[in-house]
Amino acid sequence: MVTGSGLRARLSEAGLAYCLLAPSLLFLATFTYWPILRSIYFSFHDVMLGSDKIFFLGWENYGRLWTDSLFWKSLANTAFYTLVTIPSAIACALLLAVALDSKLRGMAFYRSAFFYPVMIPSVAAGMVWVFLYAPGYGPINDALALLGLPKLEWLYDSRTAMFAIIIMSIWKYSGYFMLILLAALQMVPSDLYEAARLDGVPAWTRLIHITIPLISPTLYFVIIIGLLHSYQIFDYVYVMTQGGPADATNVLTFYIYQNGFQYQDIGYASTLANVLLLFVGGLITLVALVFGRRVHYLGR
Amino acid sequence: MATLQDPLELSAPAASRVPSRSTLISLRAALRRNWLHALLLPLLGLWISPLVWIVVTSLKTRSEVFDPHAGFLPAVAQWSNYAAAMAVAPFGTYLINSVLVTGGILICELVTITLAAYAFARLNFPGKNILFTLFLLQIMFPIYATFLTNFVTVRELGILNSLPALVVPFVASGYGTFMLRQAFRQVPTELADAARLDGCGHLGILWHVYLPLVKPTLVAFSIIAVVTHWNDYMWPLLVTNSESVRTLPIGLGLLAKSDSGADWTRLMAATVVVVSPLLLFFVIFQRRFVDSFMHAGLK
Repeated sequence: MVTGSGLRARLSEAGLAYCLLAPSLLFLATFTYWPILRSIYFSFHDVMLGSDKIFFLGWENYGRLWTDSLFWKSLANTAFYTLVTIPSAIACALLLAVALDSKLRGMAFYRSAFFYPVMIPSVAAGMVWVFLYAPGYGPINDALALLGLPKLEWLYDSRTAMFAIIIMSIWKYSGYFMLILLAALQMVPSDLYEAARLDGVPAWTRLIHITIPLISPTLYFVIIIGLLHSYQIFDYVYVMTQGGPADATNVLTFYIYQNGFQYQDIGYASTLANVLLLFVGGLITLVALVFGRRVHYLGR
Repeated sequence: MATLQDPLELSAPAASRVPSRSTLISLRAALRRNWLHALLLPLLGLWISPLVWIVVTSLKTRSEVFDPHAGFLPAVAQWSNYAAAMAVAPFGTYLINSVLVTGGILICELVTITLAAYAFARLNFPGKNILFTLFLLQIMFPIYATFLTNFVTVRELGILNSLPALVVPFVASGYGTFMLRQAFRQVPTELADAARLDGCGHLGILWHVYLPLVKPTLVAFSIIAVVTHWNDYMWPLLVTNSESVRTLPIGLGLLAKSDSGADWTRLMAATVVVVSPLLLFFVIFQRRFVDSFMHAGLK
């Protein structure tokens, strides 16, 4: 009798769950899964943009990857960009969020000031930084000169171009991560800190042993979203460097764009997109295995 | 106040050297009270300098922008740059469209992600992990790889060059579902159990217990969704070709890609115009963070 009613309850719970997921799944199927299936199909074919003819190639597009040095270079660039940008931006965002969660004078102003870069349209933001970095008249080089430092070529030097994009990305994304972490901090019961503060636990220890574990699900979310965003960086490369100089800032999404829209090779572009998906999927799995287990949920 | 009771200060000689010990002590006390400001202010300067540059440039003449001797501020504020930028495209229509599209996406998303996130956070059902991975797939797949197929789909649906075409691809959000699921899982289960004992069903619990408790996350998601879709450039460019359904970033794109290269003064003026409604929206909604209703709610 217990199993009977338990089974019925479980069945109705599953039914409810599928009903709740149905609206999302309908739209995801149309605008995400269908294009992905199509892209997998294209990767085994020779498909040119603007032509109706499709030729079956088998694994040829995938074989081409091994000898394509630009593919490896764009992959390495993407990984380098991610490894530098994401930890820096998240560390910066965490400190800002903790600082701005307190009762501070002018806090509304601080929050707006750190968040506004997120609001600047990427086309405009990219162009603004092209100007800021300009070797001749750019304010950044003026500031370096003021400090007695040598002027840099920034976007025109293959050694500094990627760092230029990384610096602007940290400026653009820190506020975004800060906002999400701030929301998590707002949901944490405040009596825990109060108790620790009364016990004389120093601020740094409170951060490491109370705050971070309490918001760990959100921190985990931010790390995953950060990875996914950074692998898809495109707008800034497109606006600021077009992948140059000497392919120093050519990242995977830009290389996909070049193949698809410039060389009109949809088949190879789809292959690259699928490989990117596999890499990101692998990376997310790795992060889930390393961090996912340490995430502490209050609800469970 | 505290320094008055300080024995060191009381014993200090009346005609002390400069800087006196008491000023040092009060300086240190001021620093201890305001160390956060001391830390944040330099950072703040770095963060807002591009904005200052945007606003200042929007008021310069074209020759002032490139003249190294022209000085930081414009000699005469060129308010006409704003009028000139707005004359490039029908920005009034674009503004209405941007509000309709962004608002439409936000409302649809809030409904779909709330329902889906509750299922993933609180219900058990077969295939849960596979379905959740499928939701994540949407965030993972580079959007540039789905544009072509989605364009064809929208054309087949017969809604090309209409406002719904700008909304439908974004109705479901793997991102929002993930974000809200994390928040729902943070809510102590005891609260839901108590509501169930009071005779609340799943949807009742979702509405009366969970949603009020995750308000900061809902506000944060709304801000991010609005910013993302307000600034979206590629998709509206692809699926619209008449002025009556285009959005603000298209107008911005017209200025950024003019034949004579970027016209900095007008581009920056248009950027200020496009960002201003967002800034207002942000300031209003982040106030809701400040009224920390949450701390009381969870205790």
